[in-house]
Amino acid sequence: MLEIKQLAFRYAGASAPAMHFDLDVHAGEVVSLIGPSGSGKSTLLSLVSGFLTPDSGEVLLDGVAIEQLAVPSRPVSIVFQQHNLFPHLDLFTNVALGVDPSLRLTRQQASEVTAALERLGLDQLQQRKPGELSGGQRQRVALARALVRKRKILLLDEAFAALGPALREELIGLVKTLVSENKMIALLVSHQPRDALMASARTAFVSEGRVVALEDTVALLEQSQLAEVRNYLGTL
Amino acid sequence: MTQLNPRAISAGIVLALVGLIILAPLAGLVNLSGLPGYEPGDLRFWHSSYIRRVLSFSLWQALLSTLCSVLPAILVARAFALQVNFPMRGLLLRLFALPLVVPAVVAVLGVVSVYGSGGWIPLGKSLYGLNGILLAHVFFNLPLAVRLLLPQWQSIPEHHWQLGDQLGMSTWQRWRYLEWPALREALPGIMLLVFMLCLTSFAVVLTLGGGPKSTTLEVAIYQSLRFDFNPARAVVLALLQLVICMLVAGVTLKLQRLPEVEITLSSGARPQGRLQKPLDMALILVATIYVGLPLSSMLVDALSGPLLQIISSSYLWQSIAKTLFIGLSAALISVVAGWFLVQYSASLAQAGQVNKARLIDLAGSIVYVMPPLVIGTGMFVLLSSHVDVFNWVYPIVITINALMGLPFVIRCLGPALRQNHARYHHLCQSLDLQGWNRFRYLEWPLLRRPLGLAAALVAALAMGDLGVIALFGTPETATLALVIYQQLGAYLIPHATVTALVLLLLCLVVFWLLERGIGGKFDA
Repeated sequence: MLEIKQLAFRYAGASAPAMHFDLDVHAGEVVSLIGPSGSGKSTLLSLVSGFLTPDSGEVLLDGVAIEQLAVPSRPVSIVFQQHNLFPHLDLFTNVALGVDPSLRLTRQQASEVTAALERLGLDQLQQRKPGELSGGQRQRVALARALVRKRKILLLDEAFAALGPALREELIGLVKTLVSENKMIALLVSHQPRDALMASARTAFVSEGRVVALEDTVALLEQSQLAEVRNYLGTL
Repeated sequence: MTQLNPRAISAGIVLALVGLIILAPLAGLVNLSGLPGYEPGDLRFWHSSYIRRVLSFSLWQALLSTLCSVLPAILVARAFALQVNFPMRGLLLRLFALPLVVPAVVAVLGVVSVYGSGGWIPLGKSLYGLNGILLAHVFFNLPLAVRLLLPQWQSIPEHHWQLGDQLGMSTWQRWRYLEWPALREALPGIMLLVFMLCLTSFAVVLTLGGGPKSTTLEVAIYQSLRFDFNPARAVVLALLQLVICMLVAGVTLKLQRLPEVEITLSSGARPQGRLQKPLDMALILVATIYVGLPLSSMLVDALSGPLLQIISSSYLWQSIAKTLFIGLSAALISVVAGWFLVQYSASLAQAGQVNKARLIDLAGSIVYVMPPLVIGTGMFVLLSSHVDVFNWVYPIVITINALMGLPFVIRCLGPALRQNHARYHHLCQSLDLQGWNRFRYLEWPLLRRPLGLAAALVAALAMGDLGVIALFGTPETATLALVIYQQLGAYLIPHATVTALVLLLLCLVVFWLLERGIGGKFDA
């Protein structure tokens, strides 16, 4: 279980008040984070992944604090909206970097990379460069890398924002399956309420640096009485 | 979160060395009263009619050179911008990049070959002096200005051209509402850059200046040290030059609006009147002839000169070896130092410390306000009382040339490395792709192209340098550029022309080898 407790952060020199996050995510669950631009969704992911250091608070994974760990040591894999892959390396190498950055793979590790690519339907494209792939295929490669890294937490920062509706649906379905199969914990940042409906049983609404609601996705999107949520959804 | 990291340490070492190389000679410069030739009142330079004359000529030739280079360049750049589809456009633009790597002394030979007595357009004795200096400065700076101005037109959004067309704008209205606003941003910075280059130009004025009447501060410094042995006057002139350069650089910094990153270029056909195309093509033709003629003429003269005699001389081959040694060593030092600086500034920029990052870049480019001859004079003064400076030619010349190349390295590598950091830094952190692995799998494949270009530029510039080597060089340590100067001084023009051709070819080959050898073939 991932527990984010009173996690506080303030950007240096920013006039806005400090952000404070509280959130719980269970193993095998994908929680979506929705909210207006600048509300702190991506900041929360950066705090969990270690790109930003919190001013105070805790991030606990199965009861163990991880917020002081260095970025590479955290049990986290992250998929960004773009630039997840190195353009000059083929798909196999891009995924293999997730296993060992020195690329000195054992036979076992190499076959795990191949298996992950197979699992994501990319086994025929191992020698291709990212420039030869579609946007959806590129994000599949990033997911394959997350798979071989075997880290418990998967962060998806607008990972499917640049894709069309059908591809988004397909990839979100894939994420749900991977998370469920591997008992991972996923946080999905998206601007599209529809993504939350597809991905998550529970969704968090983030506004002005706080999780103002964490509830059943359908209830949040269709019945919430919170002014911020209704304003964001355009139902006010 | 601020913590000492290897990047900060390596950048700190580089900056400390840069500071030492610049400040130590400055300390030599300010110790004026202990120098031979010093007389109380030397610093009141306005009392000396010689220094007043040198100063006013320096500024006057730089101003005229700037106007003669940049004003025609506006027309030529506009012609290139409006005429986007004609045969050999790319080749011509590449020709306009050539003067960047042509050593000044080679260009001088080209100018003499065209405009000297017996040349294709003989100007006789009036070539030497202001006329010759202007002709050579325009040869260098017109193409440079064209290449810097062209992106301004290309940055005008395609939709603006279409809108102008739809609104039925005339040529004048298009200029006023579309082109001039884009140009206005960059023009002051470009003019000041050219002014600075002409103000600190040494080889051109040394070889084409006509004695005391046409002497600039840089040449006067050289003459004071090497001919009059009057270090006190050299120091006064060097300080004067330094103050002027700092003033010009300060104004440039305020006004400069050169694009930092590669912009998306629009390349559609432009609306134009019936006469526009012939007029533009005529402008491009004249500019091409102006730039191409000196090099072609020099080539013809060299091929009909004492080619075999020069090539079979062991002195030439020794000079080639020295030239290569200086050029490659300077490139290596400059690229390594620049790499450390840019790495640190990119990581600062990534962490949101943009002002600090800018400061690091600026510190690395500090030599922009310190002409090589000023640093050389300081070193000369500082070291001459302790060692025989002529025994220290190579370390001094290599160090100063490496320092001079640093701004180019920062300019070439900076944008690419910053983009790399912005795109992949978090991913690398997350994958623990650090140190050697990060260099091997990410930075080398993606940055080898700008790295190759930077190394090629610094090597070519150092190989063609006739500033510091003229100050410290001797016949035993002469590079090709100094050999050409010696041959010119002995009126051996045909010999100098052949040597110039050898130097030009050497620069081009080294440039090509480094750019391709390091840069490789990018297939991402």
